[in-house]
Amino acid sequence: MVALPAGRTRRPRRPSAREAGTALLFVLPFLLLFIVFRFGPAIAGAVLGFTDYTIGGEAGFVGLDNFRRLVEDSTFWSALRVTVIFTAISVPLSMIASLAMAVLTRRMFRGVKLFRSIFFLPVVTSLVLAGVVFTWVFSEGGPWSQAMGALGLPAGSWLADSVLVVPALVLVSVWSRFGYGMLILLARMQDIPAELEEAALTDGASAWQRFRYVTLPQLRPALFFVAIIETTVSFQVFDTIYVMTGGGPVRSSYTLVYMLYDQGFKYFDLGYASAVGVALFVLTIIVALIQRLTLGREK
Amino acid sequence: MTDTLAPPAAVTPTGPVPPRRRSRPYRPGRPSLTARIVRTVLLLLGALVTLFPFYAMVVLSFKPTGPVTFPDSLLPWPFSTEAYDQVIGAKSVLRWMWNTVVYSVVSVVGVLLFASMAGYAFAKKRFPGKEAMFWSFLAMLMVPYHVTMIPTFIIIAELNGVDSYWGMIVPTLANAQAVFLMRQFIASLPDSLFEAARLDGCSEWRVYVSIVLPLIKPIMATLGVFVFLWHWNDFLWPLIVGQSLDMRTLTTGIASLQQENVALNMLLAGSVVAFVPIFMAYLIGQRYFTEGVSTTGIKG
Repeated sequence: MVALPAGRTRRPRRPSAREAGTALLFVLPFLLLFIVFRFGPAIAGAVLGFTDYTIGGEAGFVGLDNFRRLVEDSTFWSALRVTVIFTAISVPLSMIASLAMAVLTRRMFRGVKLFRSIFFLPVVTSLVLAGVVFTWVFSEGGPWSQAMGALGLPAGSWLADSVLVVPALVLVSVWSRFGYGMLILLARMQDIPAELEEAALTDGASAWQRFRYVTLPQLRPALFFVAIIETTVSFQVFDTIYVMTGGGPVRSSYTLVYMLYDQGFKYFDLGYASAVGVALFVLTIIVALIQRLTLGREK
Repeated sequence: MTDTLAPPAAVTPTGPVPPRRRSRPYRPGRPSLTARIVRTVLLLLGALVTLFPFYAMVVLSFKPTGPVTFPDSLLPWPFSTEAYDQVIGAKSVLRWMWNTVVYSVVSVVGVLLFASMAGYAFAKKRFPGKEAMFWSFLAMLMVPYHVTMIPTFIIIAELNGVDSYWGMIVPTLANAQAVFLMRQFIASLPDSLFEAARLDGCSEWRVYVSIVLPLIKPIMATLGVFVFLWHWNDFLWPLIVGQSLDMRTLTTGIASLQQENVALNMLLAGSVVAFVPIFMAYLIGQRYFTEGVSTTGIKG
């Protein structure tokens, strides 16, 4: 996807000072913004983790204190666990839903575009709005609790239950995300060469076999891409939790990003909050590496 | 989305969709009747589940204040606009709407301007440090937004930008993903277009304004739609930067109403007010949303 700069082969001469100067002027506004608000803060974010900075106060260097505190903080381990569990349920579910809907809306038929539009609608909807509506959906006596009751499953408010609160939040997340994965997979499906499936068809492969042995392997890179995006999104889930549970009941939906917000902007302990941010970064890197090694390996 | 500043985090340099190999799509014969019935039933079920929350949001917002029961409350009557009168009259919803418009529109203009300028230089010009700069932009996409959010907030706080429009908007203009997409698009345009204008004696700025800008309208539209969407729905950054009642956006404002335990019909009326503009944008510019995702993998 990253192409080499165009025109390099045709014009091997060095740029004149004037040419380079004007080019830099075009880059400069963005470059300044980037240095001040992305590059600088990324470095500072890591550095702050080693200080006891609070708003308006001095930043004193405290070495590994924040990280030692983090390791000893049971809240941190619980937040890490909630984040990982949430992601571990949410990503596969969301991908299965994306894949199912992509398969169902793959061929052209009357109304297919309408279905695709409907499935993408939650993606453009604010998670705060989703949170407000789903708080009612999952409330005591609300649609979800009645439906669960009718099926003989745990009724009552899932949001008030320390075990079921995470699955409830996962369902909201899947609802809001599956349309995105569906579109990515659909785009890839259109590119699968017709010859492959026709060959399988003449060999007498059933619909399931064609899906399993032709379509699915071809979708592998797209599935990998969706997995990475959805993992990032899940690790950073915040809006719905803020609106629906506030991290509760008793921290059972308290995630790392929620902890970062809590420590930084409720207790104004920005040093400690930055340490949580560093932990989140490390977790993201580890999981990205694992995904690359398992799902992303080239054939 | 929580990460307006960091939509980049979602894009890996490897890119979403491998190079297109447009061959004839596979078109088998019409599926059997059973297959079509099963498909239709599953799709209708999916659509029902997807649309139910929207239906509930709208219907329950047009109810008089009172206890909400299921399923009776999902009938369209009794009908009342009481919640809208209250939420628009007594609460600051219109002010929040204005803040959201300012935040979204100014950011779209800023991101498109700076990203197209930088993207043009990266795609078509040569200057020292170009490769290093570009790769450092890409590398930063890997850093989660939340790591940079705290120092960014400190910078804004030190500059007295808390509770100001500029404090909310300016940091979001450093959108590296936008530069990346712009560069990709502009690199695909033939050099001859720019050379001709230059030979005619146009200044570089003139080339940018009268040649580059008209040519990049498609990517401007796609990117513009998404930047608008990210900002309209953004939550965490406005939550920490716009703290006063008057500086809330629709998302943070509605969340604050919810924390005040405002009645459900009012919360949902506020939600409908926040949803209608993005819904209209989706209806009108749907092509840009779906094609943007399909061709660039841009995060929704």
